[in-house]
Amino acid sequence: MAKSSEESPSRRTFMMVVIGLISTVIGIALAVPILGAVLNPLFKKRDIVWTKLGKISDLNLKPLVPKFVPVYFRVKEGWSVNTLPRQVVVVKQVNGDLLFFSNQCTHLGCPLHWIPARQKFLCPCHGGMFNITGQVVGGPPPRPLYQWVHKMEGNNVYIQNKFKDNPKDRGI
Amino acid sequence: MFKQIQNWFDERIGLTKVIEEFNGERIPRRGGWAYTLGSVLAFLFTVQVVTGIFLLFYYVPYFPIARNATYFIKHHVIFGNILLGIHLWGAFTMIFIILIHMARVYFSGAYKKPREMQWIAGMVLFSVVVVLGLTGYMLVGNENSWWTINVLTNVASHTPFIGGFIREIAKGGTETSVLTMQHIFAVHVWLLPIVVIMFIPIHLFLIRKTGHQGMALEYKNSKLCDDDEKKWQHPDGTVPFFPDQFYKDMIVAIGVFAVVYILAVYVGAPIGPMYRPLALNFAPEADWYFLANEELLKFFPGHGLIIFSTFLIPSIGFAILFALPFIDRTKERSPFKRPAATVLGILFLLLLVYLTLIGGEPKAPATV
Ligand code: HEM
Ligand code: FES
Repeated sequence: MAKSSEESPSRRTFMMVVIGLISTVIGIALAVPILGAVLNPLFKKRDIVWTKLGKISDLNLKPLVPKFVPVYFRVKEGWSVNTLPRQVVVVKQVNGDLLFFSNQCTHLGCPLHWIPARQKFLCPCHGGMFNITGQVVGGPPPRPLYQWVHKMEGNNVYIQNKFKDNPKDRGI
Repeated sequence: MFKQIQNWFDERIGLTKVIEEFNGERIPRRGGWAYTLGSVLAFLFTVQVVTGIFLLFYYVPYFPIARNATYFIKHHVIFGNILLGIHLWGAFTMIFIILIHMARVYFSGAYKKPREMQWIAGMVLFSVVVVLGLTGYMLVGNENSWWTINVLTNVASHTPFIGGFIREIAKGGTETSVLTMQHIFAVHVWLLPIVVIMFIPIHLFLIRKTGHQGMALEYKNSKLCDDDEKKWQHPDGTVPFFPDQFYKDMIVAIGVFAVVYILAVYVGAPIGPMYRPLALNFAPEADWYFLANEELLKFFPGHGLIIFSTFLIPSIGFAILFALPFIDRTKERSPFKRPAATVLGILFLLLLVYLTLIGGEPKAPATV
């Protein structure tokens, strides 16, 4: 019969090493799939799609008057394909150039309100303020408004569910 | 008959002795009402678990169906409004009482040696309970839930180095999606409750091990002398836990429960509008216990400073609170004999109340 731990100190050490090893093996074996489940999103590519916004001429843009135009992205998220409705804020500048802003505050993402009386986008959450060209003019936002990646094909505008100059993919 | 059943158990596992040992624990005679706060927290947590499980009979963690499922519980399930109301007001009450419990532990110096681990276990419970509240708010699937998810994950994304990863892991991707809801659901319903269920017994075990220090006032000489390490175990007058302390616990429990129940029935759980991602005039609002933090976010404008409000101040504040027993190593416990700690504590509470009040003020410029 094998000696008990009380009879032999080396036997005791041996048992403790085996107990430790078994716990480690089980622990690591379980940690692998759990980590996989948790870290999975980091290894998935974001589904980027082009979506038609419409004809510029249909928008009736007036210079320096922002127009909120909804866009519906069909994207794959996890196991399902979903529609993401988003606002595109189209601003025609004085020289005729078009800007395609997101209505998400660049601070922490709340929905911006356009206040005609003040000619500013105001954020209801922490009081961020942006002017018509998207520059921060007050409050905590750290950067100018996000601009949607877009392209023109003929008279049509296409929008991608992605912001320009947004390396960390902030925003929704 | 009962005697026989009792004997049956005693013969095998000595049940009576176990119960007597648990119930007979000596508790300081004075300060008993202050000790009820912890028990009432344990009671409220049990209520949360029970009501939560039955909410699951109807709830679906899917954006935006979740909001309709919640609506169904409130308006179409018999007494569903009470069930949902208890879960909401129970959560609010729990957060409120946890703050009072912490304040009582702070002002009576009860976190000091040998109770450091109790305080740490308590801080774990505190953080988990707050996150339970926040995730619960997100699960309703209404407009506020949507913006809370976005704002809070954006806050997390400002954590140095790993912020972006935290945000993506929490959301299950870059966008707020079905996976986000599923993650929040798993965290609110499984992960965090299990942490609480593990830590409450640890917390209680430690309390039993180190004895109740309670209000320092009850000690004739509140200064612990080094030569009597066990002094705190022998306060001047003690009573058994059962029924003396348990009786007080129950009285407070029924009082708090009545308040929760009345709020549940007469105020209920507001469900709020369906999430409309295209809404142009919506002003998101945080739950009351998050308003102080929310107010903080309004300061520190600009790129370099945002990290102060999203990361540095909250995490340093939290770290100080967490490590309190190791920062304040003095032995004095009476709030009157350690004026610095007492005044600091009061100032901190006042600041918290002030930030909460101004944080709750409408800041929406929609009507300007
Ligand atoms: C779910 C949350 C919590 C539950 C269920 C709970 C439960 C309890 C109970 C039943 C007691 C004994 C009675 C009393 O003194 O009230 C107690 C004592 C204590 N709690 Fe908590 N607690 C919670 C959260 C916290 C938090 C957030 C802290 C502090 C960070 C904390 C720190 C302490 C300390 C230091 C004691 C010992 C006080 C003494 O011995 O005089 N607890 N807790
Ligand atoms: S989210 Fe707009 S100012 Fe904070």
